[in-house]
Amino acid sequence: MNLKEILELIDKVAERGIAAVEVEQAGTRLRIEGKLAPPPQVIHTAPAAPLAMPAMPAMPLAMPAPPAAPPEAPAPAPEVDSEAGLHIITSPIVGTFYRSPNPESEPYMSVGDHVSKGKVLCIIEAMKLMNEIESDVDGTVVKIYPQNGQPVEYGEKLFAVRL
Amino acid sequence: MISKILIANRGEIALRVILACKEMGIKTVAVHSEADRDALHVRYADEDVCIGPAVSRQSYLSISSIIAAAEITGADAIHPGYGFLAENAHFAEIAGECRLTFIGPTPEAIRLMGNKAQARETAKNAGVPILPGSDGPVKTFTDAQDVAREIGFPVILKASAGGGGRGMRICGNESDLQSAFEAARSEAERAFGSADVYIEKYLEHPRHIEIQVFGDTHGRIVALGERDCSIQRRHQKLIEESPSPAMTPEIRAQMNEAAVKLCAAVSYVNAGTIEFLFQDGRFYFMEMNTRIQVEHAVTEEVTGIDLVKEQIRVASGEPLSVPHGDFRLRGHAIEFRINAEDPRTFAPNPGKIREFHCPGGPGVRVDTAAYRDYVVPPHYDSLIAKLVVRGKDRAEAIARGRRALELFIIEGVKTSIPLHRAICDDPRFVSGDFSTRFMESFSW
Repeated sequence: MNLKEILELIDKVAERGIAAVEVEQAGTRLRIEGKLAPPPQVIHTAPAAPLAMPAMPAMPLAMPAPPAAPPEAPAPAPEVDSEAGLHIITSPIVGTFYRSPNPESEPYMSVGDHVSKGKVLCIIEAMKLMNEIESDVDGTVVKIYPQNGQPVEYGEKLFAVRL
Repeated sequence: MISKILIANRGEIALRVILACKEMGIKTVAVHSEADRDALHVRYADEDVCIGPAVSRQSYLSISSIIAAAEITGADAIHPGYGFLAENAHFAEIAGECRLTFIGPTPEAIRLMGNKAQARETAKNAGVPILPGSDGPVKTFTDAQDVAREIGFPVILKASAGGGGRGMRICGNESDLQSAFEAARSEAERAFGSADVYIEKYLEHPRHIEIQVFGDTHGRIVALGERDCSIQRRHQKLIEESPSPAMTPEIRAQMNEAAVKLCAAVSYVNAGTIEFLFQDGRFYFMEMNTRIQVEHAVTEEVTGIDLVKEQIRVASGEPLSVPHGDFRLRGHAIEFRINAEDPRTFAPNPGKIREFHCPGGPGVRVDTAAYRDYVVPPHYDSLIAKLVVRGKDRAEAIARGRRALELFIIEGVKTSIPLHRAICDDPRFVSGDFSTRFMESFSW
């Protein structure tokens, strides 16, 4: 295959909206990937027959799978951006999340409380050590993600703060 | 009894442990860094915990994060795999203190054998042949000079705390030694935190032959034959095989016996490897690895023993399931390490795997955590697959290796597959007559 033929093939792939084409000739293998055609637009008409669906509040109504659906999983529905403009504080370590220094005392922080930079927000216990997690911003706590006593991973969301 | 194992590792070895656990009905916990969210060990484990950012120091090497992950998931044992924390005595100790079964040797054995000078001393006392050299570290150049004169040049300087070929210097004469001594000490200091170096006689054309050993908590220790790992570049193994083409039944019996003696001297429990240098019919203790090895699959193929399941059983306090009495290695097995790297320059080549097809057919085993569209992260080891072939003899194993390498398709990243194909066609490799210096003169 010479360069001219390869270029022609690339043009054809682009023209026809082909996802990918693979050619093997005389020991040379060539794969050309085109831009994927956008997924077919779903037009919402009457609500579909009720389907047993898990509660997923942030998800727009999922379409019932049409018979000619492509074998790939449908693109995930975009998450509704309810966190726009909020500062998210994530866990710096793996461990167990506690809202108060001990079971008898009041939580460090509740929704609606004002926080300032350096103020302790919660405790994460790892290897029997109580690690105080401090706020890195000033603002108002609008959401606390984990439950008290729940295990959290590295990078997991802990608090949303409105600046 | 162990019911849930946390695997403190990633890649193919994490997957290998998961496979063993699945067969034994044990639950698994994968830990992973942010760079490994889409890794196969995460997908196949029963539970997974993100323990830190991509950089190993804050994830796969973070003892506190790993122990915390074991605590929040209720795991009762930890398998360290190889690399990362596998030979960290402190980690084994902390796991024990947190009532987690460490699937490996005791912290004492790890500590003792992890220090090369101490390991050498232990071998010497156990009557295991060692290379002539210094008794422990040499502190001054004058001491080094005295030892070198006594044992004769060439000599090699090695870091006491070292490994993986770093901190080693070969000296052909006294002026070499003079310039290498301080350089080796400062290199050792920088790489391993200890400037201690020791001197050994340097062999010109040795083979690297290692013995797989296994001890249980009932005092039984077995040697499971050898692996020949002479095909290396920059002290990194490329191809391993068992049996060794250079081996005779008499020498194998001697090496097995020496390996068992050394393990008995440290009351060794679980899987380990004793590495020897072999030249002109004589063998010398080099070092011990207190963990499962990358190339353990070679031994599994010729012995029929699942070493990872055996590790878990032994850690639970069960006796070794290896039958008593003599056993033979069956057929011949060869492992080819497939790395994501340039096969000529050996520069790592991370990136997205666009095409991935594993070979199959008789006598072919592929241990891998890669798949099509997997992105090989730049933060870790470049090993992406191990191709292990078995045949009734070495010739059949090489023939299977050749055809499996031809059918192994990986596109998107450069791999060592073309290099392995070339080695399979090399007359010297096919003849079996080679040393650890094979790659120095190999051209293709």
